[in-house]
Amino acid sequence: MSEQVLAALARYGSPALFAIVAVAAVGVPLPVTLLLIVTGSLAAQGLMNFWSAIAIAAVGSVAGDQIGYAVGRWGGSRLVAGLSRMIGSAERIRELDARAKSWGGAGVFFSRWLVAPLGPWINLASGAADYSWLRFTVWDFVGESFGAGIFIWLGRVFSDRVQEIGSILGDLTWAIIGLLAAVFLGWKLFFKRGMGATAEASPATKA
Amino acid sequence: MQDYIDSGVPAYFHARRSIVKLVALPGRRTLVLLLGFCLAIAATFFFGYRAGRTARHVRWQNEPIRPWMSVPFVAHTWHTREQPLFEAIGVPPNPHDHRPIRDIARAEKRPAAELISDLQKAIANSDQTGKTP
Repeated sequence: MSEQVLAALARYGSPALFAIVAVAAVGVPLPVTLLLIVTGSLAAQGLMNFWSAIAIAAVGSVAGDQIGYAVGRWGGSRLVAGLSRMIGSAERIRELDARAKSWGGAGVFFSRWLVAPLGPWINLASGAADYSWLRFTVWDFVGESFGAGIFIWLGRVFSDRVQEIGSILGDLTWAIIGLLAAVFLGWKLFFKRGMGATAEASPATKA
Repeated sequence: MQDYIDSGVPAYFHARRSIVKLVALPGRRTLVLLLGFCLAIAATFFFGYRAGRTARHVRWQNEPIRPWMSVPFVAHTWHTREQPLFEAIGVPPNPHDHRPIRDIARAEKRPAAELISDLQKAIANSDQTGKTP
């Protein structure tokens, strides 16, 4: 898949860039980071304009993200039922809803570039949690523009080392996701349980 | 002391209580959380180490030639001229020819691996003859 995607970019340039990032934003697993780095390399070779490449990548990604958000928001009862089964109960969904609203902006922004593999899930979750479309779109556009800018710039700077840079960034992304998961699970294991136990134990101790 | 642990906020005591509870009564949910925690730690170290290792070697390794690359792209990454590369694979030199190697291979009815091998030889020859700019 990676070969076809990069070959399409090398051959067709901007239209391929737009189409690929939009499809990837919907949730199809495509090597977008490497694609953006190769785009930067093509810009360094004078085959694409640096700024227009960033704009095309950002707009294409936002277009794809909108589809994910719309599916989450208006996806119908089957999606909500599926989410309910995954999450647990109506109470839990309300809790998630409130959390999505409070964390929404930062979650959308960072999932555009720092933990990009989570992006399509955040789009769905934002839609399903009724997160404001306007806020979602603004944070989405800012995050996608920032991410496209960073990766295309890196590709331009390291234009003769695109595969290695892509590999490093891909590994770093998964390391960050692993670290976030470890922090979250560690908190649930060692702190949340401890606090729950304290809350349960305190009245008995006082009595 | 017991009262202090139960009513106090310090996270250390919460953590200690949790660890004691984990060891004493590992429920199914706890085991799943623990397994996930260990996997997440392992993934962090694995990907972090791999990123560091690639970063250390990035200056000394040449970019491998892939079928998605065009000939001008290969010339750029290997800091060499396009013309000898086009000649090596039997294609008329054209700086605007941005077909990927796999498409050229299809047009020439040759395996892409063979074209890549020819390109590598041409790059090695141009290095030896000092033709690199």
